[in-house]
Amino acid sequence: MSFQQHTTRGSSKSGEGSTDSGSAVNTLSNTPESPTDHRQPPPRQMDSAGGIDSPRISGSHSHPAAAKAKPAQEKKRGPGSNSDEVLDAKTLRRLAQNREAARKSRLRKKAYVQQLESSRIRLAQMEQDLQRARSQGLFLGGGGAASGSINSGGAIFDMEYSRWLDNDHRHMCELRTAFQAHLSDGDLRVIVEGYIAHYDEVFLLKGAAAKSDVFHLITGMWTTPAERCFLWMGGFRPSDLIKMLIPQLGPLTEQQFMGICSLQHSSQQAEEALSQGLEQLQQSLVDTIANGSVNDNMQHMAMALGKLANLEGFVRQADNLRQQTLHQLHRLLTIRQAARCFLVIGDYYGRLRALSSLWASRPRESMIAAADDNSCQTTTDLQMVHSSQNHFSIF
Amino acid sequence: MQYQQSESRMYYSESLERVVRLASGSAVVIFSVSTCCMCHAVKRLFCGMGVNPTVYELDQDPRGHEIEMALSHLLGGDSAVPVVFIGGKLVGAMDRVMASHIGGTLVPLLKEAGALWL
Repeated sequence: MSFQQHTTRGSSKSGEGSTDSGSAVNTLSNTPESPTDHRQPPPRQMDSAGGIDSPRISGSHSHPAAAKAKPAQEKKRGPGSNSDEVLDAKTLRRLAQNREAARKSRLRKKAYVQQLESSRIRLAQMEQDLQRARSQGLFLGGGGAASGSINSGGAIFDMEYSRWLDNDHRHMCELRTAFQAHLSDGDLRVIVEGYIAHYDEVFLLKGAAAKSDVFHLITGMWTTPAERCFLWMGGFRPSDLIKMLIPQLGPLTEQQFMGICSLQHSSQQAEEALSQGLEQLQQSLVDTIANGSVNDNMQHMAMALGKLANLEGFVRQADNLRQQTLHQLHRLLTIRQAARCFLVIGDYYGRLRALSSLWASRPRESMIAAADDNSCQTTTDLQMVHSSQNHFSIF
Repeated sequence: MQYQQSESRMYYSESLERVVRLASGSAVVIFSVSTCCMCHAVKRLFCGMGVNPTVYELDQDPRGHEIEMALSHLLGGDSAVPVVFIGGKLVGAMDRVMASHIGGTLVPLLKEAGALWL
């Protein structure tokens, strides 16, 4: 299809993919500034006929225009035009860029939807596998190759953790309301202790997960990327948490302050000891694997497996440390201070998780065209970010 | 330290006796196995606090295996080591030691036993 005669028209889509010409034209006809609305029949007719003139372009008939919108040619017409609105080069360029932006936005949306569709299929597949694995009981050791290499221990924990996160949100809302409503200490205590019991629950879950899939825990695949960044032995580092908390707890008595500093100090010592123990385990494992000769390979593998089993112990001790730290905080603080403390903790990790979500859905550089005027694109990108903000990626 | 002679086996009570005797011999006593990494961690913990514990490596002791069994029975758990005694009193395995440290009771215990000065 030849578009040569339509180059000077604002509504032409010459030079672009023909697939979008219809919709692009539609876009333009919706804009209030479209010059073509007034003057001629629906633009589609123009395209197919390949040469319908409007009074506007009669002057430029003879121009051997390239197959592109040429705002420059408009300039030459000048006073000869009898259009109702003056279409200067800037407006035309902006309109063209808007069309371009709209087109790219549609393509992006298409790609996004396709991605969602394939993810949906994958998710359905995973759920199917999980059901099957559940009905067959937990896989022991490495026998999980049958159902699409899903290690059910990790997948099951992810599901339970996701439920725990929902509960966490509920607890946080309840705690915040109670704290701000200045409930009596007795009432607040019940809610705070409920929140601590809620944390005890996650350590129980992690303990079970450590038995079935310690690698899942220790590599942090159950957390969001930002949390994973700060991961220590399968979870948060208690001394870092206390360091973050101290300035946020409000006024403390001297005794409380000493107690919390002492808590931070002992936690650091315990963390250091566990880290050194783990380091020795890793070194020992490296030695075992590296020194295996061809003849006694199986024996070395068996030895390595035996050593790997100790990993569970370290993750459990680390979780034990985390749990004890939270309990000690509760002991050191008054009930209102404790309420505030747990609100701070909950908010902190909530924000860290939100950060991961935002990071995952940030607009990528490659998706933004090299156009100067990005206003249309930015809006669409922001919309895309907003829609995915509410989902915390677990898997 | 109190212990019950619930087991009629000679070895068990003998081993426990030995444990008690060894544990009372120093301010801080750790029963360990030289290749155990958790034992390494608990040793590092005490050294990091400036404590000098007496360590018995059960894999290097001719009667070490019996002691391991006795300890495992005593703690009721799966792993016999590491086990820590302070001032002759049983503190427990790694989780008890850490809970005690976080809870602030370990340091006073160490000072009381004379293993730590300020």
